[in-house]
Formats: sequence, C-alpha cells, structure tokens
Amino acid sequence: MADGPLIVQSDKTLLLEVDHDKADECRKAIAPFAELERAPEHVHTYRITPLALWNARAAGHDAEQVIDALIGYSRYPVPHALLVDIAETMARYGRLRLEKHPIHGLVLTSTDRAVLEEVLRSKKIQPLLGERLDGDAVAVHPSERGNIKQLLLKLGWPAEDLAGYVDGEHHPIALAEDGWELRTYQREAAEAFWHGGSGVVVLPCGAGKTIVGAAAMAQAKATTLILVTNTVSAHQWKQELIRRTSLTEDEIGEYTGTKKEIRPVTIATYQVMTTRRQGVYRHLELFDARDWGLIIYDEVHLLPAPIFRMTADLQARRRVGLTATLVREDGREGDVFSLIGPKRYDAPWKEMENQGWIAPADCVEVRVTLTDDERLAYAMADSEERYRFCATTPSKTRVTEALVRRHPDEQVLIIGQYIDQLDELGEHLGAPVIKGETKVKERERLFQAFRDKEIKVLVVSKVANFSIDLPEASVAVQVSGTFGSRQEEAQRLGRVLRPKSGGGGARFYSVVSRDTVDQEFAAHRQRFLAEQGYAYQIIDADDVLAGD
Amino acid sequence: MSAVRLTIDGMSTEFSEWLRGRSDEQLRELVVLRPELITPVPAHVEGLAGRASSPSAIGRVLDRLDRFTFAVLETLTVLPSPIAYRSLRSQVSKSLQGPADPVFEARFRQTVDRLRTLALVYGPDRALVPAPGVREVLDSPAGLGPPAVEVFRHYHAERLAELVEDLGGSHSGSDSGSGGGKEELAGLLSDRQILARLVEEVSPQARSALDELAWGPAGGRVPNARREVRVANARSPIEQLLARALLAATGEESVVLPREVGLFLRDGRIHRDLTPLPPPLDGTARDRALVDRTAAGQAFTFTRAVEELCERWSADPPGVLRGGGLAVRDLKRAAALLDLPEWAAGLIVEVAHAAGLVAASGAVDGDWMPTPVYDAWKVRSTEDRWVTLASTWLTMDRVPGMIGERDERDRLRSALHPDLRRPAAPEVRAATLAMLATAGEAASPLAPTPEAVRERLAWEQPRRRVAQRDRLVDFTLREAEQIGVTGLGALSGHGRALLPADPGQDGASRTAPAAELLAPLLPEPLDHVLLQADLTAVAPGPLTGELSRWLALAADVESTGGATVYRFCEGSIRRALDAGQGADEMLAMLTRHSATPVPQPLSYLVTDVARRHGRMRVGSASAYVRCDDPSVLDEVMADRRATPLRLRRLAPTVIASKTSRATLVDSLRAMGYAPVAESLDGDVIVTQLDVRRTEGPPQLRVPAAFNGLDAEVVAAAVRAVRAGDAAHRSRRKPVDAPDGQVPRSPATATIGALREAIRQGTQVWIGYLDSQGNATSRILEPARMEGGYLTAYDETRAAVHRFALHRITGVAEVQA
Repeated sequence: MADGPLIVQSDKTLLLEVDHDKADECRKAIAPFAELERAPEHVHTYRITPLALWNARAAGHDAEQVIDALIGYSRYPVPHALLVDIAETMARYGRLRLEKHPIHGLVLTSTDRAVLEEVLRSKKIQPLLGERLDGDAVAVHPSERGNIKQLLLKLGWPAEDLAGYVDGEHHPIALAEDGWELRTYQREAAEAFWHGGSGVVVLPCGAGKTIVGAAAMAQAKATTLILVTNTVSAHQWKQELIRRTSLTEDEIGEYTGTKKEIRPVTIATYQVMTTRRQGVYRHLELFDARDWGLIIYDEVHLLPAPIFRMTADLQARRRVGLTATLVREDGREGDVFSLIGPKRYDAPWKEMENQGWIAPADCVEVRVTLTDDERLAYAMADSEERYRFCATTPSKTRVTEALVRRHPDEQVLIIGQYIDQLDELGEHLGAPVIKGETKVKERERLFQAFRDKEIKVLVVSKVANFSIDLPEASVAVQVSGTFGSRQEEAQRLGRVLRPKSGGGGARFYSVVSRDTVDQEFAAHRQRFLAEQGYAYQIIDADDVLAGD
Repeated sequence: MSAVRLTIDGMSTEFSEWLRGRSDEQLRELVVLRPELITPVPAHVEGLAGRASSPSAIGRVLDRLDRFTFAVLETLTVLPSPIAYRSLRSQVSKSLQGPADPVFEARFRQTVDRLRTLALVYGPDRALVPAPGVREVLDSPAGLGPPAVEVFRHYHAERLAELVEDLGGSHSGSDSGSGGGKEELAGLLSDRQILARLVEEVSPQARSALDELAWGPAGGRVPNARREVRVANARSPIEQLLARALLAATGEESVVLPREVGLFLRDGRIHRDLTPLPPPLDGTARDRALVDRTAAGQAFTFTRAVEELCERWSADPPGVLRGGGLAVRDLKRAAALLDLPEWAAGLIVEVAHAAGLVAASGAVDGDWMPTPVYDAWKVRSTEDRWVTLASTWLTMDRVPGMIGERDERDRLRSALHPDLRRPAAPEVRAATLAMLATAGEAASPLAPTPEAVRERLAWEQPRRRVAQRDRLVDFTLREAEQIGVTGLGALSGHGRALLPADPGQDGASRTAPAAELLAPLLPEPLDHVLLQADLTAVAPGPLTGELSRWLALAADVESTGGATVYRFCEGSIRRALDAGQGADEMLAMLTRHSATPVPQPLSYLVTDVARRHGRMRVGSASAYVRCDDPSVLDEVMADRRATPLRLRRLAPTVIASKTSRATLVDSLRAMGYAPVAESLDGDVIVTQLDVRRTEGPPQLRVPAAFNGLDAEVVAAAVRAVRAGDAAHRSRRKPVDAPDGQVPRSPATATIGALREAIRQGTQVWIGYLDSQGNATSRILEPARMEGGYLTAYDETRAAVHRFALHRITGVAEVQA
C-alpha cells in the first residue's frame, strides 16, 4: 500500500507512475472517474473533474469505489478533504432527472425538493421550463433538452437523462467483415458509445475512426447523418462505408456544395451546413429531412459554433463524436461533452502504437538559424507579420529540400500554412501543390497518384489537415502552421501514422526558425504530442545541410 | 450577623481539623488536583482550609467537575447537613434516568471519594458535609431557588403573618417572636401535604407557571412583584401564587420559586435526567494505521506549508496593519499561494507566529517576516519541526478560527491581530484531544462526530460557558485535522504523544516520542526526479533540501501534494541562470538527479536559453568615468595609483568603478585630474532581492499554559504546610541556633545542599545575613526554592519564612 503507483495531488490531479508493477491495474481502476490529461514517458497525469465523477456515476460507479481505488493505490495518504469533496460531488448527480412523462412529455423531476427549488430560481433555467406539475416535477420544453442539461451542469446539479432516445427510421446496416475484422478497441469504442447512448470517442489519427463510425451505424441500424469537415473527406467516408458495410452506393447520399442528395445515410459537410444566405442557415432542414436514428460528427474538435447550437436541439437523437485530439484552442471542450455527450472511449496514442495499430513515429524538430539579414528583417517586421516572416524564410526552403533528399525512396508530404511558401517549395522540388483553390477532382487525382506512388512528394496546405487517407505517406515535413495550434500538430502527425505495409516507422519533421516566435509556437504546438509521449528530437539545420 | 460568622468560623475549624487529619499522601493529591491552593504556599493548615473554602478557589474546582459529580455535590448542598452516605445515595438515585444499578453504585462511591479528595466534601461516610463556601458558591443548585427562610427574609412581619394565616398556620406562632414569621412559613412550606393542597387550589394557568419554573431557572420577572395580595382577593395566576407563598418577590419586578416549592414540584427528584456515566461518543471507528498515515501526510503538508509561507514572506513580506495584524488581502494571497482555504491559511499564519517563526519587524509601519528562529527551525528534521508547530498550537491562546469574523464593533478580525486571543482556547484544545485520546480501541481509534464531542464536553464541564466552547471545539477538531494531530477525525499516535500523559510530566520529555512516532510515517526524502520530454519533472515524494531548492529555482511548480510536479520553461531556466547557475552546471544537476536520461528537448531548452542568456550584460557600478578622449582614460587605467579604485574599462570612453562617486572623484583629483561629478541619471543600479529578517529573536509571549505541578513541588508544598502547621499549632518555642559560625560554602554548594534537604525533608543549619546585614544562624526545614528565594520553616523563629538565597552565607548539617 505504501508503495502504490499512484500519487494523489492536492489539486485533484493523479500521478501514475507508468513503470510501476501495478500501473496497469491502477489505470483500469481510475480510468472511469479521472480524465487522462498527459501521458508522457514516465508519469501519466489524470485529473478528477466533477464532470468525470458524474460520468462515473452515470456509468454506475459509486463514491465508495472511487475512494477505495484512490486509497488502495495511493502511495501517500490521500487528503481527507479531497475524499469528502469527491463524495459530495458524486452525490450531486442524479438528484435531478429528465424523464419521459406519458402526458407531459419531457419532465424534470427531483428526489430533493430543495435542489429543484434552487435550480428553478435560476433566471437562465426558467425560460426552458413549462408548467410545474407537482412539488417534485416540472415540465421541460422538449426542444430545450440539450440546453437545460448544459445549464444544469453549469449549476453543478447534473441531470440524469432517462428520457431515452428516438430510434429513428429503421434501415438495415451491417458490417461486411470480409477479409478484415473489427479491432478490439474499435469494438469496445462502438459498444461503449452504444451503451452510453451518445458521446465522444477519442482515438489517435490512423486508428480507424471511420470504422468505429461504421460499427456504430451497424449497432443503430437506422438512418444516419454524418457530418464531416470537407468534400474529400465525404467521398472517403462514402467509399469506406461501401467497403466496410452492407450499404450500397445508392443508399449513401452526399450533401455538399455540389451535390444535395438525401438518402438513408447522408454525408454532409460542416461547411454546407453553416452556409448562410441572407442571414439564414439554408441547409438546417437537413437535420429534420429524415427521422435520423444516428448522427455522427467527424472531427468533433472542429465542430463550428452554429452546429453546436443546432446540436442542442437534437438531444433525443443518438449522437457520436469522433476525434483524435479533444483539445480546442477556444476551450470549448466542455460544450462538446455536454452537447454531443461525455467521452465514452479514449486510448492513449502510445498504447495504440505499442499494440501496432498505428505506426511508430519519430518526431524531429529541425532548428533553422536565420541569417543575419533575415534576423534584421525579422526584428523590423510588424508584430502581426512576424510569424509569417520567420515561418517562411528562405532558409527553411533550403532545409526542407535537404530533408526531402534524405528520403529518396519514401512518400513525402510537405505541409504548410502559407500558399506562396508552398508554391515556392513545389517549384523547387518539382512537386504538385494542393491548396484551397485546387478543384476536388484534381485533388483526388493527385491523391490517387500519390497513393499509387507515381508522385513521391506532395505539397499540401492546411486543406489536407484532416481526414485524408494517404496510406503510404511515411514522411511529413511541416514548414509552417496555424500559430500554436496543438491539435493541428497532432492531426498532421496523424497523416503518417497509418500502419505501413512494410511495418516501418514514420517520420515527422517540423522545421522551425530558431529564436523567433516560430520556435515559441512550435513549443506550444508540440505540447499535446509531448504529453501523449512523443518526445521530439531536436536537430540543427546545419547538420541536415552538412549531411546532404 | 455575628451568629452567621460564628457558624462559618465553627465550620471552618471543623473543616481544618478534618483537613489536618488527612494524610500527607491525601494532601499531596489535593494540591495536585487543586494547584491554586499552594500558589503561594499557605503558612499552615488553617491557611490551606481558608484558601480551599474561598469562592474563587471553589469556583475553579467546580469548573472541572463533570455533570454527575457536580450533581452529587448539588444534591448534598440542597439536603440538610450532615448527611449519611446512604441517604445521599438514595436521594441521588431518585434523579437517575435509569435504575440504580451496580454501575451507579460504583460510580457514586468513586464520586463521593473524589469530592472528598478535592476537599469539597468532608467528614466520614455517616456524616458528609459540604466544605465551607460551597453552599455560597452554589447559590442555585440544580436550578433551584433559595430556601424559604432566605427568600422571605425581607418580608415584613405583618405580611409574613398574613401568609402564614393564608397557608393555614397558627396565629400564635407569628406573635411569639419577631423573626419567627419566616421560620414558620418555611416550616409550612416544608410540609408536603400543605404544599399539595396549595398547588391543588390554584388555577391551571398558575399551575403551568409553576411547572415552567419547576426545573429552573427558578426566577422570573413580573410587574409589581411586591403586591400584597391575600388568597381571598387574588385574581391573576401570579397573584394566586404570591398569596400562597408559592412565589416570593425578590425585587420590584422579580419573583422566585422557593426551594421547598421547587423540590415539591420536582416530585422528590433534584435532577431530571442524571446519568452516572458520560453520554457515549458517537462516531466512526478507524483503522489505526490509516489514521496515523493520514495524519502524518497532513503533518508533512502542514509543515511544508509553513515553510512555503515563510519563504514567500522572506522575499516579499506583507505589511503590519496599523492596528496590528495582517491585511485581508495578504491573507488571501497566502491562501492562494498555499492552495488552501482562508481559514487554513490563517491557521498557518497564526501557528507560525505563535511559534516565533514570523514576527513584525518593527512597531510602526513594520512588515511580517521570518525571524532568526525560523532559520534554526528550517534546518531541523520534518518531525521535529512539526512537533514544534503542533505543540505551539496546543498551548497557544490564540484562536485562528475567529479570523474573518466581525467583532462587537463590527470590525473585521484580521489574522495576527492582538485581539484574537481567548484564554480558554488551550484548555478546550487539551480537553477535546484528551477525549479523542480515550475514544475507541487502541487498534481502531474512534473519530467522533463534532456533536458528540460537544455533548461530551458539556457533560464533562457543565459549568463552562457553552457558546464559546462549542465554537472552540469545532475549531479544534478542524485545526487538529489540518495540522495532522488527527487523521480521518481520530487522534493519531504522534498526536496522542503530544498530550501530557499525566499532569506531573514536564514539556521537554513529552515532545520527544511524538517526533519519534512521526518520523517513520513521513516519506523518505528523495534525491531524484523523473524528467519527461514534455518538460516536466515529477518528484514522486519530498525532495532533499538541496534538490528541492534547486528545482524551485530552475522550474515552476505545477502541482503539489504527495508528489511535486515541476515544469521547466524559458522563464524558469532564465531565473536559474540569473541566480548564477551555468548551463553545464544545470545539465549536470539534471543528469545527477534524474532517474532516467535527460530528455533532449529539456537539454535543448537549457542550452538554448543559456545561449541567449547574457548576450546582453547588465552590471552594477557605483560610479563611472566618462571622457570623450580615450587617451586620457588609457592614462588613468595605466596609472598604478588607480588600482584600489577597481576600475573597469567598459568602452573606449567609459570606465566603471566599484567605489563610490565621491571616492572616485577625490582619487582622480589626487591623481592630478580635474573630474566633475555627474548626476545620478543613467547610473545603473541593480537591486538584489534581499532575504529579510527581523532584528532579533521575537519576544515570545508564552501563554500561561498550566501543565500540572512537579511532583517535587507538590511534596514540598505539603511539607511546608505541615511544617508551618506544626509550628502554628504547637506554638513551640524557637529552638536556639547552635553556637558558632556556619562555615561558608560556595553558592552552588549551598543551592545543592538546600535542594537535597528539600528532597529528603531534612533540617539544615544555615548562616544568613538578615535585612539589616546582621549575620544570624538558623535551623531550617527547607520547603521549596524558586525565584531566588527559599521558603522554609525556621526552627529558630518557629515560623515559615522566605530567605533570599544570595544572603545565605553557608549551609551545614544540623548536629544532633
């Protein structure tokens, strides 16, 4: 007991020593109620948040179990105040319940009248409610189910949602497991989601989130609306679904800028959903076009604000969010959890790598020293231009070329933020460039060529950040990015994480200008991956050039 | 009046005779339990008896009685004295909630013996008498009013006669004597049948008024209490009662229920729900090991928090408020720093102050900052440091729990404010913890609920003021948990060791085991951390001093608790470089103290920051020389006379110097130049963060904590009383001092010999210079020695005297 693997900190973080004998056992015990925050090489950090405790309650764990787990695995005495706090927090869950009433529809009921009175006095809650039915129950406007849950959560009295889900229009969907089968974690993720009714599945890039979505559809066996980031991604979803499930091409509709098909399974882009004409979201009716039994949000960390609002109205439908990195620079992770649902499944990147589901990757930060002229120009640049300047210096171009030359036999992706920099690189390397203005047809042609290894090097702008299936890219070079975006870094690494046919590892270069804001942003960008256990190795650009 | 005095005197003689008859052992027991009786030591047994029957001494001992003992004493004062043990027992047993079982029998026996030990009751079992003064102090025993004789004393004779008549007494009695009226009235009121009739007669409203007063308090307020109504014309309920002497007027607007009436209404019982044993302590039984571990963890955290606070105040001391104390803002900052609620931060501040670790640097406009005591405390082991803090908390009379409350004048009570004292606090803390010490089994100590503790304390000390005590109990429980004296609400092993085992033990010997018990429970300091590629370092336990100081410098703390998480960032590395660390040194430090290889991003961070660090240099020079002509400065630099000036050429036209501007100017002039001084503008002064301390050790105000008397003191006191008493009684003739001079002896030998004589109770022969400077020679029986004086029975003068030690010229044995 005195040498347990867990250390409970006073700020409610839990430190788990990974190399400890009981680490795995302990991880399983604490996972239900603590969020994995960081997973670097030696000590993983979990955090006990009220949300995590309530999710644990919702999943059937009680305070006694939580406290036993903490005391049982803790190396040092657990502060009593913390245990009391945990018990109190968990006791708050379920005092309020959202239930279906045969006459009044959706009602908010309470086992504790004082709590009900407290929340009824809230000015924000009042407009969402209908008439008071009796001392312990009040009607709720069905359309406000999401809002009221969100607000109650903020008030610290999370409601247990027992109102259930609509089944939606039945549609037969089954997985077609011919020549492949669902991986264990994919099955677990789909089941965890189905058991919870709605929620978010977090899996690293390349771990097959599309298949988790397909498995969820096979569970639901109902008409499904899939929301994805862009048209290319929509096509890929369609192809993947045709390959992996019993669905035929005719059953899957695309609802994008060019096509407006509504079929039993419809794939729409966020862009089209949020297009406004004369201040009105024109395509909102898609949500009501069919009696959807399941809504899938791909790359849920990118969910735009209008979709958040729309989602609040869809609380009676089953929802699943898929993402690799639930970090949003806007800090709206909480909204994702309360509107889509709590995190249902999470797998650390390094664990997936150890099991061989994603390719092992070396992350390398290449530090470029600016020339004296560049330094002076950088010092004189306007503050808003500084990042652009240091991120696109000619020095970087030289280094990038050298890096590409290092991998003559591999498929190399070059990813950047600034189009002129990419054009220049494309020109120097004789490689095609995919950017925002590239037509979808052309994009797909280039991707196919890259897949067929006709093209060795491909330069892409941030349009290719997500959901592009480039199975054989084994080297990625990042020359510039969206400032300090952590999830972009993770997504870009994800481009090379799909397991390689040869079983080899992947390499991710990030070219950074030394002693500039580029380096600061890079440090921030790397944080998520560093916390997932990816140790960046730093090399000097001169070494790259010298080795050339 | 003279009759009353006679009685008291008479009783007093009886009492002192009884006291004289007690054995030395019994007297020693008495003064151990009532130490106030021997400060100062009375001259003889009469003196002791007098002091034991003084109201203040009785009040103090009554405060320490539990509810049952107190009730027995109350019963005794209500009943006529002397009373036999059996009668008293049967009366007390009537008040019991349950049956008079063997538990009660045993407890009752023990209680009477204890009361006798305490000299509150004297006499043999067949005739127990309350000690003189007890009745006077217990003026309202068990909430009963005064006896009829007393309450009707101020009634005039005619009125008394009217009352006697209305009660159906004989007329003749009232005529016979002037004072007889009230006696006869009292006699009538003692008759149960008469009382039963009177109570029967009155209206139901009057009856309910009686019931209200029956169980006390016996007094009430009514307008025009002195109205003289007869049974015939009494209308209101109160008038009915006044007319029947069931209520007596004690003032214009106050009435009281005479004791006889009260006893009647109580139906023979004196107390309502007496229990021989205290109420059981409700609570949760805890596992001994878990309690100790939890408390030790908290002890460690608490000690560390004190250190953290002192370190912060070293660099950035908060100001002392004009009225004394610490500003609310500063307390909030401390709470934020320590990641604790404000009350806990207040506790830390107060304990650190009471332990002398922090003090105000000056009377006016001072700052709160650590003292030199802190520096000594800091280097000791964690367990020793904790013992210092915890024992300070136990004995301090300050009440941190009141911080943030408003006083009578609606001013906020701030931390460290002089008003934050409550003399009762240490006693309540001791009583609360003593109760925890006896709660539960050794293997599974009990964590009682606060209500149970309050209830038990109320039972144990029924005479204490309740409102304040309840609050103090709550504070004590909360603070004991925070400090780590208790764990999970139950007293820990090391916490128990802090409490006095028995009153005779002194402070120094009891702190040692607490530290010994705590030490093995504290985590072993580590000398390594786990470095990770995300630029964090995790110390999976407390670190050795050197490493933890170094990490505090080179990294930012991200979370604390059992472990500490540090994060390295550019700012923190720069801070370490600023403090004089070199990149290589830092990398070496990391390598040495890392259990794993140093991650490359971390070493890059260090070298990166170090590479840029110091590219720009800022120095401090107290003076400089500027000259547009570099050749002149070349000359100055080359001049040998300039060596003591410690000049440094910063640029062709600038020389910096470590000397003051005035010295520099003077020296240059002496060298034959004609410099002029320049204004301070442009002079670079780099201030360093000073670690500040108060001028000297703080004037520690040690609260008058009473930890019981030394066994030797007690024995000496009893011997002194006996000796004095022997002298007093026998009025024996002074013994002649032996002839000749007492040989001179050195002061140390004198004191040694006297101490030995006190210990053994033997006589000594001393030479003494009296106040006129005359050399005298005496035979003494030394009793005690303190404050430079010897108290002894002087055989040669046949009296107890005090002798200044420095005037004792020598000591020798008394020749037989």
